[in-house]
Amino acid sequence: MHMRVIKTAFQVTVLFAAFLLLLTVNAGAMINGITGTTFNLTAKTGHISTPDGGSYLIWGYANGTGLAQYPGPTLIVNQGALVRVKLTNNLTVAGGGTPPNVSIVFPGQQVTIASADPGVPGILTKEAASGKTVTYQFTATNPGTYTYYSGTDSALQIEMGFMGTIIVRPTKGANFAYNHQDAKFDRETLFLLTEMDPRIHQAVENFGPAGVVGTDYLANYFPVLWFINGRAAPDTMAEPMAPWLPYQPYNCMPMMHPGEKLLMRVVGGGRDLHPFHHHGSHARVIARDGQLLASAPNTGPDLSTEVFTIQSQPGSTIDAIFEWTGKGLGWDIYGTAADGPEFIHTCNDTIVVDGFDDATHEYCADHDKPFPVTLPTNQELAFGGFYSGSPFLGSLNSLPPGQGGLNPNGGYTYMWHSHTEKEMVNYDIFPGGMMTMLLIEAPGVPIN
Amino acid sequence: MNSILKYSIMAVSVGSFLSMMSVFPANAGVSVQCPGDTDGSATWTGSEVQPPNTKCMHLGAGDGFITMADGLSQYIFGFSNLTGLVTRPVFPAPADDVMMAGMLGASFPAPPIVLDEGDEFYLTLTNVGMAVRPDLFDPHTVHYHGFPQAAPIFDGVPDSSISINMGSSLTYYYKINDPGTYMYHCHVEAAEHMQMGMVGNLYVRPAQDGTTKIYGGKTYTRFAYNDGDGSTGYDVDYPIQIGSFDSAFHNASEAVQPLPFALMVDNYPMLNGRGYPDTVNPASLPAPAENGGKVSQKESSLVTADRGQRVLLRISNLNVTRFYTLGSMGISMNVIGKDAKLLRGPDGKNLYYKTNSVTLGGGQSVDAIIDIPADAISGRRYFLYTTNLNYLSNDTEPFGGMMTEIRVN
Ligand SMILES: [Cu+2]
Ligand SMILES: [Cu+2]
Repeated sequence: MHMRVIKTAFQVTVLFAAFLLLLTVNAGAMINGITGTTFNLTAKTGHISTPDGGSYLIWGYANGTGLAQYPGPTLIVNQGALVRVKLTNNLTVAGGGTPPNVSIVFPGQQVTIASADPGVPGILTKEAASGKTVTYQFTATNPGTYTYYSGTDSALQIEMGFMGTIIVRPTKGANFAYNHQDAKFDRETLFLLTEMDPRIHQAVENFGPAGVVGTDYLANYFPVLWFINGRAAPDTMAEPMAPWLPYQPYNCMPMMHPGEKLLMRVVGGGRDLHPFHHHGSHARVIARDGQLLASAPNTGPDLSTEVFTIQSQPGSTIDAIFEWTGKGLGWDIYGTAADGPEFIHTCNDTIVVDGFDDATHEYCADHDKPFPVTLPTNQELAFGGFYSGSPFLGSLNSLPPGQGGLNPNGGYTYMWHSHTEKEMVNYDIFPGGMMTMLLIEAPGVPIN
Repeated sequence: MNSILKYSIMAVSVGSFLSMMSVFPANAGVSVQCPGDTDGSATWTGSEVQPPNTKCMHLGAGDGFITMADGLSQYIFGFSNLTGLVTRPVFPAPADDVMMAGMLGASFPAPPIVLDEGDEFYLTLTNVGMAVRPDLFDPHTVHYHGFPQAAPIFDGVPDSSISINMGSSLTYYYKINDPGTYMYHCHVEAAEHMQMGMVGNLYVRPAQDGTTKIYGGKTYTRFAYNDGDGSTGYDVDYPIQIGSFDSAFHNASEAVQPLPFALMVDNYPMLNGRGYPDTVNPASLPAPAENGGKVSQKESSLVTADRGQRVLLRISNLNVTRFYTLGSMGISMNVIGKDAKLLRGPDGKNLYYKTNSVTLGGGQSVDAIIDIPADAISGRRYFLYTTNLNYLSNDTEPFGGMMTEIRVN
């Protein structure tokens, strides 16, 4: 039924347009979400859209009277806070049948529900019947990245969109993932990974949850759409709160400077494993499921290791710290005098003697080393939209008309994506799906 | 499509492709950059002098055919090894030979890239075009998967940088600083080009190689990493790349049909480009007729070792559809590295672990050492196979797929 298209120029155009929009707005160095101690969530229906023109019914948690969200609001709380989550069931279903109960479970939290709560007992937790409210309460004892999701008819309800992320900020401060110096970061990005089997959403849209009963859709689950933070590429790179994506408010656009630490909070929000490959360099996995990988309480992440692909498992979270300096490339990433007078620069490793320039974090041992090869002529090359025309960071060079253009500051861009490459599509259109780009801007280029 | 028809189409496309080549300007075309090499062969012969710590390689990117373990001939995209072929003086004369060698010369997996820490590596990629798909003008790249501190210009992601068009060459430069097990693949239209076969083994040997370390009462001179204590020492090493093909996708590509991306389901699970029992054939597989008789499956997965020896398995996964678990029946693996990093914490804490299975998604790697027991009987076989048991098949043929053997000499 869906259109099968092989690599279209249209797709490339969409990618470019989305990215250009991003560059004109505040991208945000911290993760979008809602803060506080009491959260009023409402279970509702909504419709998400995918870059191939698809529209799908979702069930999502809304912030109060807002729209349903895919994924649910990212709840950002402080360590030690007494957190209350009130969930009201305003779900409606096709055919006028009784909407199902809804609920939330909070893996990693000790949840209490008042005995007088009007919620009805379910298998995993108390649930809110149609039109009713249930209140969950927990103390955010431990910092870290957690997930929350439906505890009712989970196979269907999580697929429909009832899932989200909880971030507990440690007492040490908002720029720490955990209470240890080695968990410090400069910027952070959420990567909540989900997949979708549209047959389920179409059945529920037409017939309500009964539409799935008697089918093998849940048993023989077959996703054909993949998302980061509820969006499929290239929408992942569009602005957060984009007006044309009202039910998908969160983007995924990691940005940083050389030498900065980027905290990756990777959440397995669906039912599949995903090998999330972050081009550019290794990342140090410092925690799993909100547990710092430490051999003892005060050691810091001494059991951490570095990976080039994060194995994201369903229902699990991973915190990893990514850094990039270009150390050891064997050529000067800012060019040399031989490339032109505008490339002349110094590398001063004097104040903090660590091998890197004190301000730009340039690796001084590679300073002034020439670019090692001659690049082919323009007519022999195909150019990416994010190519600046120059191999040097922060530089632009002329490209044939219509080429490049998405990278106005000459940053370095890296594809971050599922390495199950079939998940980098929207149905049959490549590229799309579980993919975004990391943008490393030259020192001094403002981010935000 | 029968193979005779296939041949006639190929002859036409090769001819038209070569005639198209001649319209390229003189400065364009096949061009190998390799310090000290004057005839563009990416090797040093005669009076040519290899600079210290310099390695060169010349890969072609194009299409070809392989033979699956059940006998099916499969159309692929892939890399060919053009190293050693003279390309200078430039076009027309010697470059033609390179194009002819590369055309339909794709191998699966791609030619292995083996490097040493400290190398300066010049990798020239020449796009030889798709002989069976003359309608395609796809550029190609090499993505050195996992390379730390990468720069986009040499990272091979077409969106972020440049990729090379048909009939021309691009030289990648890598300063090799970090030992470990990586992998490489084309990143253009990655879901398609990788499913079609543009993937290969790549690993870097550590600077510690050549030094002598005693570990467990035995002396080693070769190591997986710069461990400082010889604990990653080994006697023999084998790259093992997990992969799998969806024959319906390959058939659609060959027949110029729309490509079923989201519907991909792989039915030919493989190790190093072969299904069992081809995996344990130590030789190259016979050349398929469809590519004009070019040997396209050179990589065996048969592991052999003497009793008491330590075997390093460099396991990587470049399939594009799912996770696979590899189990080692009857013998345990000591995992000493992951994703090209020695498995130690930041303060040096040893995080090695013993296991009988490793689970890898696409783009992950594991270094595992197997100790062959000192009392193992000659001829003893251990099996390395996927415990995703439904992938122990070559399409509908059972008792095949993702399995190989470790044989005691
Ligand atoms: Cu390719
Ligand atoms: Cu890769």
